[in-house]
Amino acid sequence: MRILGFDSSAKTASVAVFDSEAEDGLLGQYFQNCGLTHSRTLLPMAEDLLKNLGLTLGDIDLLACSRGPGSFTGVRIGVSTVKGLAFADSKPVCGVSTLQAMAYNGITAHEGSVICCAMDARRDQFYNALFIIRDGVPVRLCEDRAIGTQKLIDDIENLNKPVFLVGDGARLCYNALNDFKLRVVLAPAPMRYQTAWGVCMAALREQAVPAGELLPVYLRLSQAERERQERVFGKAGSDPQTDKN
Amino acid sequence: MLILSVESTCDETAVAITEDGRRVLTDQIFSQADLHAVYGGVVPEIASRSHVEVIAQLADRAVAVAGITKKDIDAVAVSYAPGLIGAVLVGVNFAKSAAYSLGVPLVPVHHVRGHIAANYIAFPDLKPPFLCLAISGGNTMLVDVRDYTELHVIGATRDDAAGECFDKTARVLGLPYPGGKHVDALSKQGDDKMYKLPHIKVEGNPYDMSFSGLKTAVVNLVHTSEQKGERINREGLCASFCRAMSESLVPRTMKLAQELGYDKIAVAGGVAANSRIRDDFKAAAEKAGKTLYVPPLSLCGDNAAMIGCQGYYEFKAGNRAGTNLNAYATMEL
Ligand SMILES: [Zn+2]
Repeated sequence: MRILGFDSSAKTASVAVFDSEAEDGLLGQYFQNCGLTHSRTLLPMAEDLLKNLGLTLGDIDLLACSRGPGSFTGVRIGVSTVKGLAFADSKPVCGVSTLQAMAYNGITAHEGSVICCAMDARRDQFYNALFIIRDGVPVRLCEDRAIGTQKLIDDIENLNKPVFLVGDGARLCYNALNDFKLRVVLAPAPMRYQTAWGVCMAALREQAVPAGELLPVYLRLSQAERERQERVFGKAGSDPQTDKN
Repeated sequence: MLILSVESTCDETAVAITEDGRRVLTDQIFSQADLHAVYGGVVPEIASRSHVEVIAQLADRAVAVAGITKKDIDAVAVSYAPGLIGAVLVGVNFAKSAAYSLGVPLVPVHHVRGHIAANYIAFPDLKPPFLCLAISGGNTMLVDVRDYTELHVIGATRDDAAGECFDKTARVLGLPYPGGKHVDALSKQGDDKMYKLPHIKVEGNPYDMSFSGLKTAVVNLVHTSEQKGERINREGLCASFCRAMSESLVPRTMKLAQELGYDKIAVAGGVAANSRIRDDFKAAAEKAGKTLYVPPLSLCGDNAAMIGCQGYYEFKAGNRAGTNLNAYATMEL
């Protein structure tokens, strides 16, 4: 099965072609970390990559993207792109958690290591999930969530295992954790950010759906909804799914 | 020639299939008005979220309802500016990827050009040149339509769009969103001379407009009467407001048509649905011996058929976009 994967969930953007029958899977990948708008660059990257690999969209069996969490707009650009690419042949699509995709960056860590995926979610929070490496694959330890620094430190302390930090919030996280003398490794730059390869790896273990059923996952309400909830129900009544730890 | 067209610049997600510009096979519109109603106006993030949820289903449904197959589509047209940036991005990224997957040309369409083109759908015999007043929630401009893709803005609002003014009036009177039609309905039962509201005063270009003064006057009127504990006559205020709006728009448009020597005048955009403005235009055009074109209500608001129609003429003029097409919040006509 050939997968065309996309990630545009944060500042970085990447596109990969992955063949599950090929020995190493990854046939090619483009990656950018320059802050150019994904709306301009994402589809041209896919077009170029396919051309350079001597492939066409017709050779692709599955379209995959990170469905969030991440930049609301960035995630929507990826999801809209995949929905559009699926249009002509009604190809199946697959949305994967950005954090799950990113966890594959940690598969070189020792068996039993914890992969801590941390994206800078602003407002003093991280989008975070924790995984453990078992049989060379990241296995989820908790759901995707938006949490504050203290909660993250507590959770990692309780696990009492070596930790490999990835994500655009990894450095922030590393600085905070270092003070606690925990066994933490900050992923080197080329392995720190989510990639379309990780999206493809995660997609191999997810259910494909028709394009119409692919939905972004934000982990947060829009500002207007949040403010309205606070106004109508008071702060304490707000939805635990949104911003609170 | 069959065009699949996409519109997502504000709070309507729409996909249409049109043939040779003017024949609408289907125009699938998903209105988000209910989602925004509790906020009293369009919330950009909520609009963007809704667009991405429904766009693929709408496109599939448009193809099914039109009774065509995807292979029959000759081009994809998309409304790429101006609009709420997060919202436009969804339509643009879907449309350009869809065009790429189909292997057909992608045609970028200016949203306001689309509104003007709604008239070509409504009136099969209408051809440029003509003068068009484009009035909506985001735009207010007098456009010299010399040809299908040669348009010149002669005058435009310097501050608020006419539609914003309608929305604000509705909101300050506690009318539900979207407010334009409620203001319209109340105005029919009121005395349009009850409240004195200011008319446009703009230095320089006589065809430029300004509506912030009118908006502020309405807001102040309502607040002052609240403070005094007086009850505002909502019907009277709506009628006076619609009159002030119409008197700012209609004579100005007629004067410009005369100056340019046009005998055809078109009106376009969401505010063209207002009955006072429609009636006054009808009377003025009759008096001046000019032909008036105002689309039916169904084509005044945002829709994708108008994008498909203008897209056809843009296509014929050779306008194409590549896979790097971006979306823009603002864009010259
Ligand atoms: Zn519009």
